Amino acid sequence: MAITLHRRQPERPLAVTDADQPLVIEARSPAAVWWRTYVHNLRLLRNGAVAWIVGLAGISWGVAVTFEDRYATPEELAAFAEFEGVPAFEALLGRLVGLTTLEGGVLSRWGIFGVLAAIWGMLAAVRLLRRAEEAGHLEPLRAGAVSARGLLSSALAAMATVFALFAVAIGATHTAAGMDAATSWALGGAAALVAATFAAAGALASQLTPSHRRATGLVGIFLGLALAVRIVAAASATPEWVWWATPLGWLGFLHELDQARTAVFLAYLGLLAVLVAVTYLLADRDLHAGRLAAGTDVVTGARRPVTGQLDLAIRLTAGPARTWGLVAGLVALGFGLLARDFSVAVADLETMAELTAMLGYPAMDTPEGALGFAFSWVGIVLAVFAAGQVVAVRDEEATWRIEHLLVRPLGRIRWLVTRIVVAAAAIVLAALVAGVLGWLGTALVGAPVAFTDGLLAGINMIPIAWLALGVGVAVVGLAPRLTAPVTYALVVGAYLLDFVGGMLELPEAVLDLSPFRHLAAVPAADVNVGAALVMVAVGLAGVVVGAAAFRRRDLKEA
Amino acid sequence: MATSIPVVRFDETSKHFGEVVALDKLTLEVGEGEIVGLLGPNGAGKTTTLRTLLGLMKPTSGRAEIFGLDAWSDPIAAHRQLAYIPGEFHVWPQLTGGQILDLLGAVSGGYDAAYRDELVERFNFDPSKKGRSYSKGNRQKIAIIAALMTRAPLLVMDEPSSGLDPLMEATFQDCLRAAKARGQTILLSSHILSEVEAVCDRVAVLRQGVLVEHGTLADLRHLHAHTVEATYVGQPPILDDVAGIEDVYVQDGVIRLQVTGSTDPLLKALAEAEVPSLQMREPSLEELFHAFYDESEDVPAGTAG
Repeated sequence: MAITLHRRQPERPLAVTDADQPLVIEARSPAAVWWRTYVHNLRLLRNGAVAWIVGLAGISWGVAVTFEDRYATPEELAAFAEFEGVPAFEALLGRLVGLTTLEGGVLSRWGIFGVLAAIWGMLAAVRLLRRAEEAGHLEPLRAGAVSARGLLSSALAAMATVFALFAVAIGATHTAAGMDAATSWALGGAAALVAATFAAAGALASQLTPSHRRATGLVGIFLGLALAVRIVAAASATPEWVWWATPLGWLGFLHELDQARTAVFLAYLGLLAVLVAVTYLLADRDLHAGRLAAGTDVVTGARRPVTGQLDLAIRLTAGPARTWGLVAGLVALGFGLLARDFSVAVADLETMAELTAMLGYPAMDTPEGALGFAFSWVGIVLAVFAAGQVVAVRDEEATWRIEHLLVRPLGRIRWLVTRIVVAAAAIVLAALVAGVLGWLGTALVGAPVAFTDGLLAGINMIPIAWLALGVGVAVVGLAPRLTAPVTYALVVGAYLLDFVGGMLELPEAVLDLSPFRHLAAVPAADVNVGAALVMVAVGLAGVVVGAAAFRRRDLKEA
Repeated sequence: MATSIPVVRFDETSKHFGEVVALDKLTLEVGEGEIVGLLGPNGAGKTTTLRTLLGLMKPTSGRAEIFGLDAWSDPIAAHRQLAYIPGEFHVWPQLTGGQILDLLGAVSGGYDAAYRDELVERFNFDPSKKGRSYSKGNRQKIAIIAALMTRAPLLVMDEPSSGLDPLMEATFQDCLRAAKARGQTILLSSHILSEVEAVCDRVAVLRQGVLVEHGTLADLRHLHAHTVEATYVGQPPILDDVAGIEDVYVQDGVIRLQVTGSTDPLLKALAEAEVPSLQMREPSLEELFHAFYDESEDVPAGTAG
């Protein structure tokens, strides 16, 4: 072996000797420091914001430009307008007004798009304000010349900036698409305010708990409650003012027929101001702490030992499975409770046939048909849970915790398959719970479907969630750093393709790409066994491809 | 001897990340019962070396073996015989320290429970807290205890004692010595030179992914410059023609210089003058590393003075 010898160097002076330097090199003004953190936060938001703005504003713009082709004849328009005031439709879509107008048609989609904007807002806020702190990114910033509240306000300002761009994107594109300018800009402003309101709720939750998961859970509960109130507001027996009891309801008053835009904006701005003020008050806290008592971190007494990696997988899955199972169950229960109301209202429609043809759901004048129509929501909930599990699996790798297991005699494939099998089992449990609660809902209002029919409606949603799981595993194997964006985008994209694709006049071949389109309206229809088998097969193929790729590649940090 | 399988063997192992060569044709063997220190400046490729050995990364070319088993294609069998301490231990925030030890013990396939309890006590570790609440040093103790309690024949460590306080560092070195006495093989990357000096039989120095030095500490010392300090009275000795010396300082009755290789020419030259005191010492490990790590050779010298 060649030995290299290195000559000892004499002491070298540093390039800049510090004796003659002033103590403060560059006295930055507080405003300059704040501006720098604002720009930093803006950069963190950028990619997600581009995707959300292009996605939401783009799809809504698509609805606007295709509206007249879609409802070309007065008969078609009249059939569409019959949705107005039908409780189950309004429970799904939000308050429906002026459906014979272009503006009404576009606004009718924002009951759902608004929920998506709210999800964007809450995720962005928790990521910026709690996840970054948990990961240790805020510590060096807070050691700089900026206070906790300064950091908070810079993050809020950055979010306000992207939401303002969101408003402009909607206002400009919808005006260009031929929609009334005042309605376009009102929609843009209100959509941005929905995102901002839930971002403020996320910012508040981020002050309350020390973990980003719990913060997401808290603001998720807030979103769930807001949605639940809107569903209640849709019921025929509920007084009109209940629409005003939820921030998701306010979006339903944007049509000029309501003459309520000022009230809508005042409501959003008022709630936003309260949330921001409380957040600001609570932000002056310890780093890594939450305002809610977090319970003790010291565990006294015996704890059940973790017996191995299967046990670990079950423990890591149990928490999210409970939360998402509960959400799926409540959705199913809610639609079960509405099923009778819905089927009676549909039976009264003169355009029953057109309606059924338009939506592609059979027997909507029966509780079974109503349940079948509504259960696709259970499907999206389960698919999102599946995507979340895939992201959690990737997270074990990104945080390098997986190293502790894989340097031991545990194969990568066994580790991965264990996690996925546990997640798949959790999906089955959640689907069964949803099925039972869907049945329970119909039984409680005196229009029961058969118990086995309820169960079957739940079971029918298992393949699509497994599909999401399997495709997600393929992403983990092939493009690990893109796991979260790609997996969530595939799930939400597939759902939106089914939900708005028809309105966008897309070719059937494109629409058929969405697996949601192939879900049969069980229990009113039989399970689409062929589609279910294809979904399971594609999911399995995804697992095989993903596991093989995962076995062959380097572990990758975040 | 020809049939004995080295515990660790790198055979022209390279790892590239795109254009970046993180590890360039590393060839290195570690025999049974040996303690080898892996040294090098930040970013030299130490962690990449260890992750390649652990089968967490696939070598771009060449191979890494553990007890003759390929680290990449046969990780499960290879890992039955090793334990690993990472330099930074990311915990499951919701599990307690005790639960993490249970889990890692279970996944390891077996461990010495009595030794685990002893280690928990010796490291003064409280296993009842949730993972998220441990400090860096305490998280590192989990990694150390989880690895040592398996009594695996091979211990691989990547800056294992980072974050430990000096007392715990001493405890850790005791454990290393005990492992060495039991005949466990250790491959250790570290910046703590006293740790390396205390336990390592051999050191390998990486720089920019290349193995630049390799040998026992005594060899390395011998090959490097010794520091000579002497005093003189009257006329200074004439050192101009002495071979193997550098960094010479002769003034006001004091001589300081570095000598490499034989000291005979220097001693003869010094004998020409009146030299009442003479001290010669081996380079300290720290001085050796200054020499190893110093990349100023690649830079034109122009900063002297």
